[in-house]
Amino acid sequence: MSATDTAPQRPRSFADRAEPYIAIIGPMVMILAILLFMGVVEPARYFRLSNLNLILLDAALYMPMAMAMTFVITQRGIDLSIGSIAALSGILMAFLIKQYDFPAWVAVPIALTLGALMGLINGLIITRLKVPDLIGTLAMDLVYRGLALVIAKGLVLARFPDLITDIGRGQIPGFIPIPVVIGIATMVGGYFLLTRTYFGRYTIAIGSSPESAELTGISVNRHKVYAYVLMGAAAALGGLMLTGKLNAIQATSAPYFNLHVIAAVVVGGTSLFGGRASMVGSFAGVLLLSMMINALVTLRIEFFWQSVASGVVIVSSVALYTWMQKKDRDGAKGLLAGLSTPDGQKMLRFSAAIIGVLIALLALGTLLAGEPVPSG
Amino acid sequence: MAETPLVEMRRITKRFGGVTALSEVDLTARAGEVLAIVGDNGAGKSTLIKILTGVYQPTEGSILIDGQEVSFASHAEAIEQGIDAVYQTLALADHLDPAANMFLGNELTKKVFGMTILDNKRMRTETERVLMDRLGVRLKSLDAATESLSGGQRQAVAIARAVYSEGLRVLVMDEPTAALGPQETARTLKLIETLRDQGLAVILISHSLDDVFQVSDRIHVQRRGRQVGVVRTADSNTQEVLGLIVGAEEAA
Repeated sequence: MSATDTAPQRPRSFADRAEPYIAIIGPMVMILAILLFMGVVEPARYFRLSNLNLILLDAALYMPMAMAMTFVITQRGIDLSIGSIAALSGILMAFLIKQYDFPAWVAVPIALTLGALMGLINGLIITRLKVPDLIGTLAMDLVYRGLALVIAKGLVLARFPDLITDIGRGQIPGFIPIPVVIGIATMVGGYFLLTRTYFGRYTIAIGSSPESAELTGISVNRHKVYAYVLMGAAAALGGLMLTGKLNAIQATSAPYFNLHVIAAVVVGGTSLFGGRASMVGSFAGVLLLSMMINALVTLRIEFFWQSVASGVVIVSSVALYTWMQKKDRDGAKGLLAGLSTPDGQKMLRFSAAIIGVLIALLALGTLLAGEPVPSG
Repeated sequence: MAETPLVEMRRITKRFGGVTALSEVDLTARAGEVLAIVGDNGAGKSTLIKILTGVYQPTEGSILIDGQEVSFASHAEAIEQGIDAVYQTLALADHLDPAANMFLGNELTKKVFGMTILDNKRMRTETERVLMDRLGVRLKSLDAATESLSGGQRQAVAIARAVYSEGLRVLVMDEPTAALGPQETARTLKLIETLRDQGLAVILISHSLDDVFQVSDRIHVQRRGRQVGVVRTADSNTQEVLGLIVGAEEAA
């Protein structure tokens, strides 16, 4: 009986020790950067208590969905239908209250259950009908959005009972807003689910290696369905909070929930390739996106730049994670070193050709241009 | 030799449609013994093992455990009877820590306010105990993800998962050293000896005759779906076994 513990002792480098925390360090660094930048440029308006409240209120809306999306993405899945689930369940709830006079405390759980049902449909389409998740949920996004439009017929339903506005924008006196409490509670619940339950454990195992999970007797399909059901219910909660926040809902509400939530989760360090989950990271990711959007508003930058900024943050953070996870950095010599290889040269010429053609066409257009004609 | 073998497979035949993968193969394995199964690709090693572990069902023939005839409808039933396998892929989830992997699919739980939740602390101490007591392995860190372990350590975790069930009597290992370097191979062979000394019947499938001669007690040779010989390792040599594998003796 001899020991097998004599693996060569190698000194744990900083990168080794930091590795488990990368997921949290990434968004934290970016949050700090925003804080520093705003501290220099616009401290008075950004750090006001009321503005802090605004940031939290905005972030709270996405927290339940980011929590559930962490599970879906960790299982190597994706759900693009959450915006439509939020809108459809919000619309249905609104109709139950306004049209059929359901009490709010009944309509709210009905909305959540409807969301769970839509998630169940997504999950069954993916696991039973074997439709790839990307296509399946994209198609169901159209279906749910279409149904919402059919039901609401362009109506805006507004003025809801207190319970719903409380959920969306209520304030605990002298404390934080109620939706923030709900959001943080769902994140804490998600953390518990991830680390302490069969569901969380199997979620990581399935994302890590579906074949191994199957071999150890885990019901892969059942646990995938669970994740989509959780996602659906969380999306419905998001729709409910949005309805309460605006005290109104229409069929076209919540258009970009899916990309915003996926961005927050991915920025938080949950791997799109599965198996690597970070609930704390998702929380930080949601905060980061809300802080960034709020910063753009505070700086009075045109609304449309928000979309540009979100995209840039997603691409750069995913690129950063990929780079950090690459173990062998010897001989990489930075980004530009690749240009001197033959393949890099070809790519360079190819890129130059595209830009060259564009410049030539612009020049041609300028040469032939006459007086501008108003398009109206 | 007079005692009843722990496992006895009698005249096992397996046909897949028109293809006969195994014909009338006999196999015996005894407690406290390492039985190696060797043979060329397509000789029927894997099929034989999959029948023993309940993944496939034999077309003809019977399996006896302790002299009692059994039949397995599934892998789970074989595990209930104390037969488990460590696959070549190890079936580990690389992102989970070793303790989570060891109990994957069979987690320890506790009740808190009537809710069943995972008992991560107990799974950790149990993992440490099983690795040390049964396999003599101590991992440097139980917190790191399994992907950061060496090949031999990963193997140890996979074996620990199989031996954790107290009823385990037969452990099948499919090519355990195929992806390992010399040092890790030596450690894995040592693990096999440790398990044998604890009274398990170990069935080892391997392409490496060096490993087989180092660790096994008997060698079962398969060729083209037939059992062409069982030799005692001590009385044989590589030449003879190689001859059986390629069929040279038969032709001579």
